[in-house]
Amino acid sequence: MRHLNTFARLVGMAAFLAAAGPEVQAAPAPALVAPKLAGTEAMIDPGGAYWAKAKPVVVEVLSQMVTTPSAPTPKVQKMTVRAVHNERYVSFLLEWDDSTKSDRLVSDQFGDQVAVELPVSYDKDNPPNPMMGAPDNWVDIMQWRAAFQRDIDAGVPGVRDFYPNAHSDLYPDKVLLPTDARSYMGAMAVESPMPHATRSPVLDHMAGGFGSLTVKPDQLVSGKGVWHNGKWRVVICRPMAPAGNLDPKLVAGGDTLVAFAVWDGGGHEVGARKGWADWVPLQLSK
Amino acid sequence: MPKVYNWQLGREMEYPYEGTRSKRQFAMVMDLNKCIACQTCTVACKTTWTSGRGQEAMFWNNVESKPYGYYPLGWDVKVLDKLGVQELVGNAPYKGKTIFEGAPDGERVLGYLPDDLDYANPNLGEDDSFGKMEQGVHLTGPHNNWMFYLPRICNHCSYPACLGSCPRQSIYKRAEDGIVLLDQSRCRGYRECVRGCPYKKAFFNMMTRVSEKCIGCYPAIEDGRQTQCTITCIGKIRMQGFINTPDKAREDNPIDYIVHVAKVARPLYPQLGLEPNVYYIPPVHVAPSFLKQMFGNTVEDAMAAYRKVMDDPKLLGALLLFGAAKDIVHSFKVENDMAIGFNETGAELVRVPLREPVHLRPAFDEKYQTHRTNIT
Repeated sequence: MRHLNTFARLVGMAAFLAAAGPEVQAAPAPALVAPKLAGTEAMIDPGGAYWAKAKPVVVEVLSQMVTTPSAPTPKVQKMTVRAVHNERYVSFLLEWDDSTKSDRLVSDQFGDQVAVELPVSYDKDNPPNPMMGAPDNWVDIMQWRAAFQRDIDAGVPGVRDFYPNAHSDLYPDKVLLPTDARSYMGAMAVESPMPHATRSPVLDHMAGGFGSLTVKPDQLVSGKGVWHNGKWRVVICRPMAPAGNLDPKLVAGGDTLVAFAVWDGGGHEVGARKGWADWVPLQLSK
Repeated sequence: MPKVYNWQLGREMEYPYEGTRSKRQFAMVMDLNKCIACQTCTVACKTTWTSGRGQEAMFWNNVESKPYGYYPLGWDVKVLDKLGVQELVGNAPYKGKTIFEGAPDGERVLGYLPDDLDYANPNLGEDDSFGKMEQGVHLTGPHNNWMFYLPRICNHCSYPACLGSCPRQSIYKRAEDGIVLLDQSRCRGYRECVRGCPYKKAFFNMMTRVSEKCIGCYPAIEDGRQTQCTITCIGKIRMQGFINTPDKAREDNPIDYIVHVAKVARPLYPQLGLEPNVYYIPPVHVAPSFLKQMFGNTVEDAMAAYRKVMDDPKLLGALLLFGAAKDIVHSFKVENDMAIGFNETGAELVRVPLREPVHLRPAFDEKYQTHRTNIT
């Protein structure tokens, strides 16, 4: 059962090495500089004036061809990214063109998503694999989901929001005690973070290789996404001080790396079917 | 990809993981000659497992008509069309491609994602017969105009495509009984299993935003009982138990006897390469040309064996144990015209006469000086 994973990791490392070469990424993106701002609050407003102080960097979105299933032609071609910090929080603004807002999840419909990846511990001589890290070199991945944003903005949808004429004689949670009804609630009964957003449209994860992505027990990341006129503007914000040993330690004046991934739900992108952007140097100004 | 041995194909084949056989393999036999599509199995499953929010159109067990019924719409013809024309599975090793071997570059299996509306009409095509009914036709065998009912659950395959498709290893096959389960904590709702399973028995729940599938009634299995769909079947068309590979077949295991010894039941679409573990006794009134595609080239042998069931008391006994006990029949024997089923410890569960006793009564009752009405 381990064969595929080992193979995928080897290929992943090979692709990472190849990704550093000019044939994959012709023009490496310049460093992303996060200016230091005043204040102590999380910065999660995509329309905030503070973004004018950050220099935008355009990152090229690459096809995911390392693991299966692959995505030979990513639907999003490039993203504009900015970063700011205030010594307590670092915040990223991601902007990309998407003609369709996809935040409805039914069996053949997928949601728009974007993710920011940081090394857990950055060693410039031994950067983690940008493709989900490696077992001995973990990464932190913060993923924003349009469906979670819809939960927060408009409320968690019910069955009739998707199927207005849906009918069911009786739902178990209408007649059973909550503890008994849990048996009929699938992922909700096991407290999976997938069913709906709680406080934030962003989930914080750790990963150490393909298939290892795991939602962290403590969720301290926040954010907000707005779709307007064929464009997503999404903010992902995290505390700079680590809350646990699998959180990146970010300090003013420090350097690290940042990578990105983006999914076009309308183009059936989900999971490994995604576009990704390689490591970009991230400088947190003093 | 690693190579695994698929006994249904008689050869090794590619699979995303190394093959490890479970200690026991969940299996079911369904007699398609007896199914009347009453949907009691469907309702039993639905009320037991899928009455929650987001499961409204989800049927882990369904019964569809063939040739024109599907759930979801067109599932098998779409998969067969994608795989292209292949050799049929027969006595010799299968020469065609499986859905693992036919996977496009960058994919783990050859699959497709059904449209949401494909799940909306589970009864479409119900009872529609194949062929045109001409004036004056009458029944012949096999029938010129035929249809049959096909009850379906997850096949708890030896080489599941849902498991092979999942990039997160959220789906696993239990070592103790071969039941294929989807970890509700690990799944992130990518729907690779929904794409990958050719039988379309993995489903997306839009309320929990992750996928779900038939759990083989594992709490019942762990307790020595057969599945809900089996014990509620009023036509007694099903038997659930465990199957061995042909080289380890036990003649006293009713499922081994039916599948490996009498060879009267066949897996569904074995050419896809999953080694499915639901076995069907083909309907003997249906054109073999159609059944060959579904059950393999040797389906006529199974039909012939079924027609001669009265010549094989052991096969008759095994078939009569269908629906006779709620517990799993691990072994059986035929003795003094009785089929006797035993549980795992060897304790007797049930005995069924090979022939129902018949009492003949004269049409005229001398005692009461009256004619009897022929009622039952």
